[in-house]
Parts: sequence; C-alpha cells; structure tokens
Amino acid sequence: MSRERIEVRGLTKTYEGGDPRRPTLDRIDLDVPRGHFVSLIGPSGCGKSTLVRVVAGLEDYDEGSVRIFDSTPRQMCAAKAVGFVPQSPALLPWLNVRRNITLPARVNRRAGKGSENPDALLRMVGLDDAARKYPHELSGGMRQRVAIARAFGTRPDLLLMDEPFSALDEFTREALQWHLLGLWERMSTTVLFVTHSVREAVTLSDEIVVMSARPGRVHEVIPVDLPRPRGDEVTGPRGRALEDRVRASLRGAWESGAAPDDLIPL
Amino acid sequence: MATVSKAAGTDPRRSRRTRPQSPPSRARRGSGRRRRSPLSPRVWLPTVVAVALVGAAWSWVAAGNPYILPELGEVGRTLASDPTLFVENAWSTLQIALLGVAWGAGTAFVLALLMSEIPVLRRAIMPLAVVLNVTPVVALAPALVVAFGFGMTPKVVVTAIVTFFPVLINVTTGLRSVSGPVLHVFRTLHASRLEVLLKLRLPTSLPYALAALRVVLPLSIVGAVVAEFVAAGSSSGLGTMIRNSAANAQLPHVYAAVACLATMGVLMLALTTLLERRLLFWHESQQRNPS
Repeated sequence: MSRERIEVRGLTKTYEGGDPRRPTLDRIDLDVPRGHFVSLIGPSGCGKSTLVRVVAGLEDYDEGSVRIFDSTPRQMCAAKAVGFVPQSPALLPWLNVRRNITLPARVNRRAGKGSENPDALLRMVGLDDAARKYPHELSGGMRQRVAIARAFGTRPDLLLMDEPFSALDEFTREALQWHLLGLWERMSTTVLFVTHSVREAVTLSDEIVVMSARPGRVHEVIPVDLPRPRGDEVTGPRGRALEDRVRASLRGAWESGAAPDDLIPL
Repeated sequence: MATVSKAAGTDPRRSRRTRPQSPPSRARRGSGRRRRSPLSPRVWLPTVVAVALVGAAWSWVAAGNPYILPELGEVGRTLASDPTLFVENAWSTLQIALLGVAWGAGTAFVLALLMSEIPVLRRAIMPLAVVLNVTPVVALAPALVVAFGFGMTPKVVVTAIVTFFPVLINVTTGLRSVSGPVLHVFRTLHASRLEVLLKLRLPTSLPYALAALRVVLPLSIVGAVVAEFVAAGSSSGLGTMIRNSAANAQLPHVYAAVACLATMGVLMLALTTLLERRLLFWHESQQRNPS
C-alpha cells in the first residue's frame, strides 16, 4: 500500500457473456508512480480502455485489486480527484466553452475541491478567444482542447485519457500533444493515456505499457528515457530507436495474442 | 454538383433561359448555397402558385356544386359579417386546447421524469399509457361527458388524453438518450442523480420535448373539436358551431369555422418554431449547414 503510486494487482475481468477462459483483463499487474505519464498501447481488444474504465471506477472487476494513492477508484471520484477525457470530446452542446470548463466545479460540491481558474485554463490551451463560443462553432481539435481543459479543471490527482486524439488529423493531433504536455508539466498530474499511436506514446510518456489481446495481459513495460521537457529528441535517433523498440514489442504482443487479426505491424 | 442542378431546376428564370452547354459558373454555385432573402421570388413564388392553383380548383368546383364546396367569397363574407362570433368561439376552443395541453403534456412530463428515475414505475405505467393511447378517445368522450357534465372539464380531459402519449414517449426517449462518454465524465466527477438529471438528462431531452409539442399542439385542437362534437349540450366553441351549421347545411359557416381552426393550428406551429429557435440554438436541427 502506498500513497505515492497506483497499484493494480491481479486484476481480472470478463464481460458478461464473454469467454471465461479468455478474460478481457487477465491478472493485470501495474505500478504507476505519482506524477508519471504512462501510456497503454496494444491491439484492439487488449482491454486497455477497459483497464482505464476500471481505474476510473466506471466498471467493476471480478478479481484482484485497484488502489490509487491508497484509495479505491470510487473514493477518488467522490473526492473529485479523477479527470476523465473520453475519445469524443463529450461537451455539453447547450453550454458555451467557459461554462463547459467550469462544469466540474458546479457538480459534486460536497467534495469541497478547489478548481482551476477557467480563464487561465483557456489561455493554456490557446482558447481564450473562444470562451463564449458554443461547441458547434468549434473545430474537432478545439473541442478536444476544451475537454482537456475541463478535465484539468478540478486539479485532478489522476487524469485518465481514453484515446483522446484518435479522431483528429495528424497535424491537429501533434499540436494537441504539445498542449497536453504543457498542461501536464505545470500541473504535475499522474496520467494514464490510452493510444493506438506509437509516435504519440513515445512523445508523451515516461513508460509505455504494451498489452496483448485475448486474454488482455501486460506484455511489456518500456521506459522512455528521453529528457523532459520533450522537444526535438522525440523525432531524433533516440526517439526513433524507441519507436522501433515499441513496434517490435507490439509485434511480439500481437503474435502472442489468441486472435491476432486486427493489428497490422508497421 | 447535385445541389447546383437542383437549385437550377427550381429557378423559373433559369429554366426558361435554356443554356445546356455552359457549365454553372463559380458565382452561381456560391449563390445556390447562400440563404436567400424572403423577398426573392424563388422563396415565395412556389407557394403563391400552389395556393392560386388550389384556389382556382376550389372555385371551379364550387361554381357548379354549391352543396359540395361553398364559394370562397361566400366563406369570406360569412367571416366578415360577424367576426366577434368567430373570435369568441375560437377563443372558447383555444382555451380547451391549451388547458388540455397543459394538463396532458404536464402530466406526461412528470411521469416521464419519474419513470426515468424509478425503473419499477416504468413497467407499471407504460402498459397503462399504451392502452390509453390505443383506446379511441372519441369512444371515451361520451362517458366523460356523463362523468364530468357539460362544462369545460370533459373537453379538457379529452384533449389532455390526446396530447398525453406523444409527450410521454418523446420525453422518456429524450431522458434516456444521454451519450455514454458524457455520462462517464459525470460519473467520474461523482455527480449525484439529481445533478445528472438537472444538468444532463433534462437539457438532453429538450429537443425531444419540443418535437412532441410540435405534434401535440395541433393535436390539441383536434381533441378540443372532437370533445365539442360529442358534448351535446355545449353552447360555444368552433366544434359546436361546425356541428350546428352542418346540420342546417350552412356550408359557408362550416368552412369559415374550419378556416379559423386551421389558422389556430398554423399559429401554434409558428410558436413552436419560435421556441425551438430560441431554446435549441445549440442543436443539430437548428444548424443551417449540418456537416
């Protein structure tokens, strides 16, 4: 038990109607020290999104334990210590950008948690001009920036991001990665980030957790020893060597999976 | 390209000037997408032509068969001869319609809220609501007159029954059609059920509630008129007027009353459109260029 890390031990989950011999999550062990940025990568169906939802307290599990800084996921949510960014921006279309960002401050006031100044947040994601606009007036990338600013709004101890950039074009995606890194470095939040992109994982993370599918297991944890704050070395030889390493690991994960039909090794 | 050829087809000026060889210019392509001024003939001409055609057909039939359709001029003179009579009766019918909507839609809204929060209630109420909906309200109306007398009450009840079901179904659907990711965000914030209801489910259901209103407001006039037909002793209302005039073969009076009813329906629809523009500016249905 530690206040300074997320500890996942022997986590096993089978969805109702699923094959119990091939659980969605099979005895997952995971350690994330406080303040680290950890990416989960793997073929579709490896359970990375399920793992994030379990850590978010959105889903139950069959066996094992999840402790986040010595609390349960539900206790973390009750204290408004978790920020969640889903794949779609999930903004409320009837509220303008500013009201969307302050939404976390207006629900669950019992938690008594302070919140970030919304105007400062908007500035940090470069949207200070769009405060009074409504989601339907924004581009996809801007909407996702609002979603990220909203998640940082409660100064969460843990930020969970489930493929937040996967619906965006490559240029927007890269710009948003730098926005996210800027915010993360300022706020020193612990991040669990689900992605399909090797480049994205290398750019953002301290550690990359490679998962294999059917059953969903942790295949390998690869440390990213690039200096912070990240810059050119991401695209330099060291960054590329790391990308190759992650791709090789993904290939291994893919081959060890029971039904490796949905990931083409790059 | 499809939009360009469609715009060209509906433009009378262009179809007369046949220039099949020249491709549509850039400017023309742009003008096809711009929102046109309501004064442009492209906007009002099709409607005016259609109305004129129907009017001409009506007059042609009426000229030879006064007992099938009255002359339009006759209907107009009837309206003009005693406008207060029509306004008073219209007001009487409108009151019933609006009170019926208030009761019917109001009850449906509250029940939809309760059902969304308490699933057991859903299984209890829904079958009853369905039975009430499939029962022809015309058949029920005489019984309601016996029960509630000849005043406004039975008519309001009939209208309320007619308007109840569409609102119940739509608001129930609306309250349930919250997107998964948004609900996840609310749940990770540990929002209470009341907070989810007030800040998420109710606003999500608003487009559905207004769509129901669009159906239910004209329906309420139908309900009120049917109730007036059935309640034999009623002395006012456009429905009563139509029944009595028809019995005396006063077709101009019948159609004058029908015109009043149609006008009321159009005004109610216009009111709903206004409400939708105000309240649903954020919704896809109100965006001019949905992408």
